[in-house]
Amino acid sequence: MRAPAHRHVDAVFDALADPTRRRVVETLARGGTVTASGLAGQLPMTRQAVAKHLSALQGAELISASRVGRETHYKLRPQPLDEAAQWIQMVSAEWDDRLEALRRSLQKRETRSK
Amino acid sequence: MKLRDRTEVDEGTPWVERETMVEASPEEVWEALTDEDRLEEWLAPDVELDPTEGGEIAVRDGDDQRNGTVETLEENERFAFTWSRPGEGESFVEFTIEALPGGSRVTVVETPTQSAATNIVAGGWGPPLARLHHALRFALVA
Repeated sequence: MRAPAHRHVDAVFDALADPTRRRVVETLARGGTVTASGLAGQLPMTRQAVAKHLSALQGAELISASRVGRETHYKLRPQPLDEAAQWIQMVSAEWDDRLEALRRSLQKRETRSK
Repeated sequence: MKLRDRTEVDEGTPWVERETMVEASPEEVWEALTDEDRLEEWLAPDVELDPTEGGEIAVRDGDDQRNGTVETLEENERFAFTWSRPGEGESFVEFTIEALPGGSRVTVVETPTQSAATNIVAGGWGPPLARLHHALRFALVA
């Protein structure tokens, strides 16, 4: 079985590697839409720094942007996070199956040698 | 050749960690993990393994194929390698064998190896990711 959108999962892990970007994502997870200036007010960084992180998150499709008048509003897109969580679930299930097969293979040997 | 230091992975929360108890000695488990014929009994129908550090590992199950490199071989204790499917991200896989009364505990950890992912792991991003995931679920339902 192949991982769903594995490359996309890599992009998500990459984008979330930076602790500041994780804070941006957590802030977005708490409430609806934000603007770059609004976020800069909540986080200890300049509007320019916020804009840079938002653009990295947008690259991983973790957030979406829409123009409202002169401002850009950003919103979290949960789907890529779901995919990352799915990767973890899928790999866990694969190892559960393989370890069970390993256990059985060792058991068989034990029975034979008795 | 630089072999990955296992402490890089051990420091943080791994992405995936599973374990099983077996009624076999660490020596027997070691053979099942590092002998290619034995690996074919449980890992995949077609396994090639050069059991030396830096050696190659190839795991095939029908069309599904992964290739990688052996990173650590500590007899009867620890076996680690990287693997990836063509064009996809690489993972680090590490088995640890621990002697128990009447058997052994086998633990496997699989972590994406990209430096970025390793940073997330070192920063303990595992639990926050889960928390965030829950927060999102509630936000979507509300």
